[in-house]
Amino acid sequence: MIMKSLRNIFVMILSLTVWSCSDLDLNPLSEGSSETWFSNDVEINMSLNDLYKPAFWPVDPTDWTDDWINREVLTPITSATINGEWATVASRWNAHYQAVSRANAVINALETKEVPLVDEVKERYIAEARFVRAYQYSRLISYFGDVVYYTQTIPLEEAYKTGRTPKSQVLNAIYEDFDYAIARLPESYPATSPTRGTKGAALAFKARIALYNQDWEIARDAAKALIDMGTYSLHPDFGELFLSSTRRVPEIVHSIARSATLGVSENIRAYLPRNNGGWGGQFGPSWSLLGSFLCTDGLPVDESPFFDPRDPFKNRDPRCSYTIVPFQSAFLGFIYQPHPDSLEILNLNTGRYQVNNDTRGNQQFASFNGLILKKGVDETWADDFLNDSDIIVMRYADVLLMYAEAKIELGEIDDSVLEAMNRVRARAYKVDYKATSQYPAITTTDRDELRSILRFERRMEFAFEGTRYMDLIRWRVAEKALNMPNYGLLDPDELRAKVTSKGLWFFPEVPAVDENAVVDFTGLGQKGLAKLLTNGQFDASRQYLWPIPSKEVLINENMDQNPGY
Amino acid sequence: MKFLVKVNRDLWDTYMPERSREKENGGRGTSFRIIMNTMRLAVVVFFMAVFQVAAGNLEAQQVSLKKKDATLLEVLQAIRKQTGYLFVCDKEMIRKTHKVSLSLDKVDLKVALDIAFKDQPVTYSIHDKTIIVRELPRRQESPAPVRPAGAGGEGATGTEQDRTQVDPRLMERALKLWEADIQVRGRVLDESGEGLPGVSILIKGTQRGTTSDGSGNFLLNVPDKESVLIFSFVGYVSQEIPVGNQTELQVTLVSDRKVLEEVVVVGYGVQKKQDLTGAVASVKGEEVAARRTVQISQALQGAMPGVTVTRGGNAPGSGGSIRIRGITTIGDSNPLVIVDGVPVNSINDVNPNDVEEISVLKDAASASIYGSRAAAGVILITTKRAREGHLSLDYNFSMGMEKATRLPEYVDAIRYMEMTNELRWNDNGNTGTEYPVYSQDLISNYLNLNRENPDLYPITDWVGLILNRNAPRQSHQLNLTGGSGPLKTKASIGYDKIGALYEGRTYDRATIRVNNDIKINNYLSAQVDLYYLRSLSDQPYIDPIFYTFISAPVYAARWSDGRIGAGKTGNNIYGSLKEGGFRKDTRQNLGGRLSLDFKPFKDLTLTGVFAPNLIMGSHKHFRKRVPYYTWNDPTVFEGVIEFNLSTLLTEARKEYQHYTTQFLANYNKSLGRHSLGILAGYENFYARNDSISASRDQYTLNNFPYLNQGPLEFRNNSGNAWENAYRSYFGRIMYNFDEKYYIQANVRHDGSSRFHKDHRWGTFPSVSVGWVLSRENFINDTGPLSFLKLRASWGNLGNERIGNYPYQATIAFGNTLFHKGTDVSSELTAAQTAYAIQNISWEKTESFDFGLDANFFSNRLQLTADYFHKTTRDMLLNLEIPSFLGFSNPAQNAGTMKSKGWEFQAGWQDQAGDFRYGISLNLSDIRSRLGNLGGTQFLGDKIKREGSEFDEWYGYRTDGLFQTDEEVANTPTINASVRPGDVKYLDISGPDGIPDGKITPDYDRTLLGGSMPRMLFGGNIRLGWKNLNLHLAFQGVGKQNSRITPIMVTPLHTNWGNIPAILDGNHWSVYNTPEQNLSARYPRLSRVQESSNLAMSDYWLFNGAYFRIKNLTLGYDLPTTLTEKIKIGGINAFVSISDFLTLSKYPRGWDPETAAEGNSVGYPITTQYMLGLAVKF
Repeated sequence: MIMKSLRNIFVMILSLTVWSCSDLDLNPLSEGSSETWFSNDVEINMSLNDLYKPAFWPVDPTDWTDDWINREVLTPITSATINGEWATVASRWNAHYQAVSRANAVINALETKEVPLVDEVKERYIAEARFVRAYQYSRLISYFGDVVYYTQTIPLEEAYKTGRTPKSQVLNAIYEDFDYAIARLPESYPATSPTRGTKGAALAFKARIALYNQDWEIARDAAKALIDMGTYSLHPDFGELFLSSTRRVPEIVHSIARSATLGVSENIRAYLPRNNGGWGGQFGPSWSLLGSFLCTDGLPVDESPFFDPRDPFKNRDPRCSYTIVPFQSAFLGFIYQPHPDSLEILNLNTGRYQVNNDTRGNQQFASFNGLILKKGVDETWADDFLNDSDIIVMRYADVLLMYAEAKIELGEIDDSVLEAMNRVRARAYKVDYKATSQYPAITTTDRDELRSILRFERRMEFAFEGTRYMDLIRWRVAEKALNMPNYGLLDPDELRAKVTSKGLWFFPEVPAVDENAVVDFTGLGQKGLAKLLTNGQFDASRQYLWPIPSKEVLINENMDQNPGY
Repeated sequence: MKFLVKVNRDLWDTYMPERSREKENGGRGTSFRIIMNTMRLAVVVFFMAVFQVAAGNLEAQQVSLKKKDATLLEVLQAIRKQTGYLFVCDKEMIRKTHKVSLSLDKVDLKVALDIAFKDQPVTYSIHDKTIIVRELPRRQESPAPVRPAGAGGEGATGTEQDRTQVDPRLMERALKLWEADIQVRGRVLDESGEGLPGVSILIKGTQRGTTSDGSGNFLLNVPDKESVLIFSFVGYVSQEIPVGNQTELQVTLVSDRKVLEEVVVVGYGVQKKQDLTGAVASVKGEEVAARRTVQISQALQGAMPGVTVTRGGNAPGSGGSIRIRGITTIGDSNPLVIVDGVPVNSINDVNPNDVEEISVLKDAASASIYGSRAAAGVILITTKRAREGHLSLDYNFSMGMEKATRLPEYVDAIRYMEMTNELRWNDNGNTGTEYPVYSQDLISNYLNLNRENPDLYPITDWVGLILNRNAPRQSHQLNLTGGSGPLKTKASIGYDKIGALYEGRTYDRATIRVNNDIKINNYLSAQVDLYYLRSLSDQPYIDPIFYTFISAPVYAARWSDGRIGAGKTGNNIYGSLKEGGFRKDTRQNLGGRLSLDFKPFKDLTLTGVFAPNLIMGSHKHFRKRVPYYTWNDPTVFEGVIEFNLSTLLTEARKEYQHYTTQFLANYNKSLGRHSLGILAGYENFYARNDSISASRDQYTLNNFPYLNQGPLEFRNNSGNAWENAYRSYFGRIMYNFDEKYYIQANVRHDGSSRFHKDHRWGTFPSVSVGWVLSRENFINDTGPLSFLKLRASWGNLGNERIGNYPYQATIAFGNTLFHKGTDVSSELTAAQTAYAIQNISWEKTESFDFGLDANFFSNRLQLTADYFHKTTRDMLLNLEIPSFLGFSNPAQNAGTMKSKGWEFQAGWQDQAGDFRYGISLNLSDIRSRLGNLGGTQFLGDKIKREGSEFDEWYGYRTDGLFQTDEEVANTPTINASVRPGDVKYLDISGPDGIPDGKITPDYDRTLLGGSMPRMLFGGNIRLGWKNLNLHLAFQGVGKQNSRITPIMVTPLHTNWGNIPAILDGNHWSVYNTPEQNLSARYPRLSRVQESSNLAMSDYWLFNGAYFRIKNLTLGYDLPTTLTEKIKIGGINAFVSISDFLTLSKYPRGWDPETAAEGNSVGYPITTQYMLGLAVKF
């Protein structure tokens, strides 16, 4: 009996032991291993693709500028409360450095590993990674000034002691990377392969960072080189350029692809009118932006006889009506009219009048300043509140204006400057730049006048495209433009009493506009004819640079904080 | 009855007989048969229980028996068991009998006996209910040759002459038995008045006796009035009762106050409580069940010292998080949970009603046998098993409802508009109109306007509309226990259904557990356990709590005609809740345990365990598009509800499997006053997780929640998998001398797949000693002291829980969109996202424990006290590395943490006549401080850095509120927008270490004291009087720095939300007098300064101590005279209230346990009112 049991037990234990010894050398099942990565063309391409994640190419939001209102809400930038704890500070810092480190990884692998690739391809791949690295560093120095610069992985112990490199040194390295890329990147990609970095993009971003740092010659030459490539041209229709149906037209130098069906889009409900189920321009263009568009005679609103404050969209640069929805115009199936007495509105789809939810006469939360964004909005926005138009990071019009700006600052005012600026302006009027009678062509050669015109031009051309914040910073205009109250419409009863009943709708008076295209409605506010929405604040003593994220300063004694934070 | 008999026969067919099995399988392989039988066994044993319960009533004179090569003694014993007949025989004589094989099916007793005695050298005679066995009269010289069994020859001594006659002594005794027997019947009860099954009842001085049945009843024939009955049962004091003239006895056994004899479950075994040298706390299953919680984790709150349970609300089915002796590490501080010896995923996978006992191993000496993963403590759960002779069927039912303990309050519509105006006016710099949002007219006419047109001028009571006053719940539990001898089974089925405080949310759970004990022979026994759990959490697509609280009353949840209203321009939580879809999450857990015990000789047990566990999760989340239309025209589209823009279906499946294999050798030997125990073991664990998910968006139809109904464009799916494994060798030696001096040593050697080959193995030793002073001669044992023991222990524990592949720098895959020409396409991406440190290895926690157990007054008063000290070294944490490296923080062994604490427990129980009472109290405290963290800091409102407490508050110091403009102008401020009424922060430092005239997060924040709960206490009181029982449990926190979180005091949350009522009248305001402002509790109303004013600072800290009654239950046992009439063993009825009467300083409307971190808020804590019945058959 015992022997029999013993035998059974023994067999059982033996079989279970064999069965139950798990392997302890377990490797990730659904991830790759970094030890063996970068071994072939496919893997390198996957790593290069990674450098174009939208997170690494953020566009500065318009809410950091005077082009924008969000009802009575300000951002840490526009209320001067920014500090090293602000999440955006850390997220920008982290994202750009992630891209830097991943670009470095590709470069180092290609330079040191045996990868079966012909030298030309290998160099092109390195060029791509250096292009991305240069772009990332150019963003970092724009926000933070001096930053940590590295091209090889820093050992961990060292990293805790690594301090910041002077901005000028970083800038030189950026130029070097861009130059390497310019020499080796293709001008375009065939339709069978993903469009990544191009020679044109490298030139344009080099021009941009040079311009931001007053390296006018470098900016001029890079922009000129791009123009001379002949690859790029302005899209004939300004309004169409920003729609999701317009992708990779010859004006686009660099853009981030989006597609709602592939899961990449943004919810734009806050921009849409309430008649379309939107939030009535919770996010929308400011009065200041509306006031900044020149009139059809090329003059600002406070100088032009053509400006009519009762009909502010009349006789304005066409980009005004492309950017902001004109009153009484058809928009997304309705006639748009924020007038407090327009209680019913025509629904163009049904042909019937219905309650107008886009006037504060009916709806408390209709647009607080009466304005709704139009730029880039097409019919597809309204049905599911999703917008998947490409994010334009750089377009040819910007290159033309950068070229002009560099030349103006250098004092090299010649026909090429006027041509570049006029091409951009004429396109808005849908005429040839040479047809100078059909649009307010720029003719002056006075440097200060041209500088002023250029600043108006940039504000009109690039509204809501993410360039305004850095323009305000580099021109040092932020301390005026962002230190200003934002106004909106009076509440309906007061509005009727003080404005509409007196025939003063829309603007009771003409705002003041300065040479930097900064528009001032304080006069209106002081007379009680407009409602103060926000009181913008900008601390010029510190805000031209962002703070370094607090965490970086706290764990690293060699990491200095920017002054004032 | 006939049916049952049939089952009976089938059972034997399935279970035992070789013949029928062979016939059935037609000679298929043995392995197949084994599998078939194992599978059937589970089913069969379940029905066995049903059978056993009924079997007691079968006609006694019939015998069914199948034996092969059994001794006559075995046969007679079997017959005795079936018939109740007594046998009188001589031991020597019976040895001479030979073995018999028989197969009987319901034959007469007489026939059975004739077969059994055929050709035997003995014969029998029946006298009433006693069978006397005696030697055959020698009629022939040589009878059929006797084949003595085994060593039968040795009994052949003495003369044959002796055996020709019946032994006169035997005859005398036998006759006496049947002549003078007195029949005694009665019932054995425990202290609570419940029938006590399985109690052994013995006639003193004889081997005669019986055991009580499932209801505690017994029937016994005693020889005479002088007989004395001994009632004994494990855990109870034995009683001797002289029979005298009684024929009916009611005996109440008092639980053994020598609780030291009580057995406590420890790692890989059990130990007598008095032998413990480590810190082990335990709680009985009945105490767990008495709390009436659905999840075990919640029932442990306040139940044991050093065991902290925190809850994040009482959502249906929610558990709590358990910490043993506080925080051990920065990473995962969840204790290891072991059910019946096998690690499980979640403590909540066991039905509280199935729990026999829960032991918590708190110090290293107790836990280090589980070395790996034991650093945060070990919870051992044993589930109920059948006891010998215990036969019962019982059913528990309870139903009741839940009510929120407290709900935050918000201002009404008029105050909302007034205060909103004030806030906006403040944010406009108090310039311009004082009615910037709502005109004076509107506010003063609002009530009238609302009456005229509630659609344009709504007043919505969001909380009243969405939250129900109460939520229903019910619970059913059916237990079947039965079996004796070779097979004992306990089967239970539980079902719980719990509703929520809002529509569309329920939690359903069904559990089944079958625990079998099988005795194969004297050397082999087995336990076969199976359990299954299925839970379904069904809830609306969106959790409405946050928006229900914060939605302002001036927005319409529904139009006056009942349609979904616009809310705040589409943010309408009511619409989302009503029509926005659902989330169904199903979890299934199927597990089993097969354990074989092999005892080759008396002191050695070899055990093999195999335990598979499979958890399957599936979810179907269906979000529906909810459009809404204008209030005056149902055909005019106005918008879409914010969280329901499109119809989206997401389905996911998860499969988690793990397998545990163990081999244990246990050797126990007592020699004189020496007692030795040795354990050696091996354990292997493997786990793998696979998950997939798929979704489609933009459905055109709202009522087909299936993937094939969605469009092709908006498809998405993903999947991943991971695995891990460990292997361990361990051993333990226990020795004690005279139960006076104890020493125990453990060691465990663990290898984990989570670490690199070269850093994989860790060794975790421990030693503990105990000294029972009360057994020393120099202690006077006549005083009140009845027991005194000192304990000390030291040991090391390990932790490896930090991701599955922390030492490997993995490449993560993803997708990014690119243009191909003018098309957009998705391309695969790859990147190393984390920095990896290859030499990462075990985290080790060293702990010391000094303890004292003292009992007084015959063990009625019991005290336990412990002081402990733990140090965690090489702590696994995600090392905070400079962000500019571009990697996420890598896992590494960095840092130390030290914790010190103490625990105290006191209990008293006694009985005075019919009055029984017991009280138990526990109190503990722990404080953890971080040592060197390798430069790492975990920043935020709660900080972990060198020298700080674990999760210490970190923020600004404050000096009240700014009162005047001058004060603002002359004081450093946090930003340029600061005005009177904002929080005044102190400038404590700057870049150069001295105040710099600015308030900055980098230099002016400091440590503000620990955030963890301190001085935790709990306890319970039990009172009983005759059939009445009262149970009260309470729990609380003695001291805690708690924060008034932003959600509690943010006005206009998300810029349109309501205003907390606690602000009204208590905030700084330009409309107040300066005196009123001086005493204002809250800063001025502002959105601009919201994040500045509500930033973490000592301004918002308060004492969050609380006291709470966890449970109060009043139970009543219906008198047995009543229940017997309806043939029911016993009925207990109870009413119970849980989580009520809370004392705390929390702001009005906030329960101290409600999870309100930052701007989020959890499901409310609820009070449960329950009514129930427990019926025993």
